[in-house]
Amino acid sequence: MKDPYEVLGVAKTATPEEVRKAYRQLAKKLHPDLNPGDKHSEERFKEVASANDLLSDPEKRRRFDAGEINASGAETAPPQGRYYREYAGGAGNPYESAGGYADYAEADDLFADLLRRSREQARRAPGADLHYELHVPFLDAVNGATKTITLPQGGTLDVDIPSGVEDGQVMRLRGKGAPAPGEGPPGDALVQVVVEPHRYFTREGDDIHVELPITIKEAALGGEVRAPTTTGGVMLKIPRRSNTGDTLRLKGKGVKTRKGAGDEFVRLKVVMPKEADAELDSFLAGWTPPASYDPRKEM
Amino acid sequence: MIDERDFLQRAHVDQTTLEVWIRESWICPASTTPERAFTDTDLARANLILDLKHNMGVNDEGLDVILHLIDQMHGLRRALSDALASLREHGKGGS
Repeated sequence: MKDPYEVLGVAKTATPEEVRKAYRQLAKKLHPDLNPGDKHSEERFKEVASANDLLSDPEKRRRFDAGEINASGAETAPPQGRYYREYAGGAGNPYESAGGYADYAEADDLFADLLRRSREQARRAPGADLHYELHVPFLDAVNGATKTITLPQGGTLDVDIPSGVEDGQVMRLRGKGAPAPGEGPPGDALVQVVVEPHRYFTREGDDIHVELPITIKEAALGGEVRAPTTTGGVMLKIPRRSNTGDTLRLKGKGVKTRKGAGDEFVRLKVVMPKEADAELDSFLAGWTPPASYDPRKEM
Repeated sequence: MIDERDFLQRAHVDQTTLEVWIRESWICPASTTPERAFTDTDLARANLILDLKHNMGVNDEGLDVILHLIDQMHGLRRALSDALASLREHGKGGS
């Protein structure tokens, strides 16, 4: 830490008035807002400001002279805050004035051309892309649908969901983003699809999987049952002696995309009646399975 | 946005002073809302005005001149940086 007397260029015996004058003299040259492009001046100004902070306060100066605090004791001085120059350079500074170069812009072809070109670029710059998340019910994602997003800034956006859209897929809606600040085209809306799970359908690639509960009678004797598909119910033939875990394929009943259609896989699940059934009980009690019927013989 | 009370507190100025600054167009708060609203830029500018007045002994007449020159300088700096950016952009295009 430099000696504050040295920084301000005053003698140890300088009066408060001399300290003040010295500080003002330096501040006028070094203030960062009067030297917006000069990083060095900010460093120097900080030194000068903290030296002044120390020497302009009689109590601090006395303690420094007495060796009670060192020069960096003044370092804890309240910072100046952020300088105006950090804001003034940004676009849209309302205080900015073109008075400093208006004559060049008119008279000098090169400068005028450069300015015109950069303004033209700014004018034609597109608007920002906006990101949205769209929750899509499972069946709408499989079959396609039109959804309306209500925009946070008001208004709505119609989104055509193509059939077979996948979870996490991002759709780009050209020109539906933020308007351009100038005359450029608006940005795009980027809509990320979140597919909601279905109560009984699941999707693997372009195939649909579903678990279909059947009664023990349907499992034993076979028969036709109604199986759900993503486009409605279809009649499905259950073969005799079906088991839990047997999977039947419904060709072409999966997800339809441009590449073609997947299949639906129906996994059977034999379900016992929940309530007691005296008839079933008495039948099974009187039934002796043949010796060949031992489901655990492999174990 | 900063409201007026907050602004006075953070800039360490009183109401009367602020009225003078606004009348002199040294500070131009946004007037789109029913109450005055200030930006961080306004706050930093207020700090600069205080620095000029109290730390450098600039009087009001001088302050007006200085602020005007600073505003021109920032306009010039931006025009220059725009022009440089445009030159670079143009250079990349190869034409």
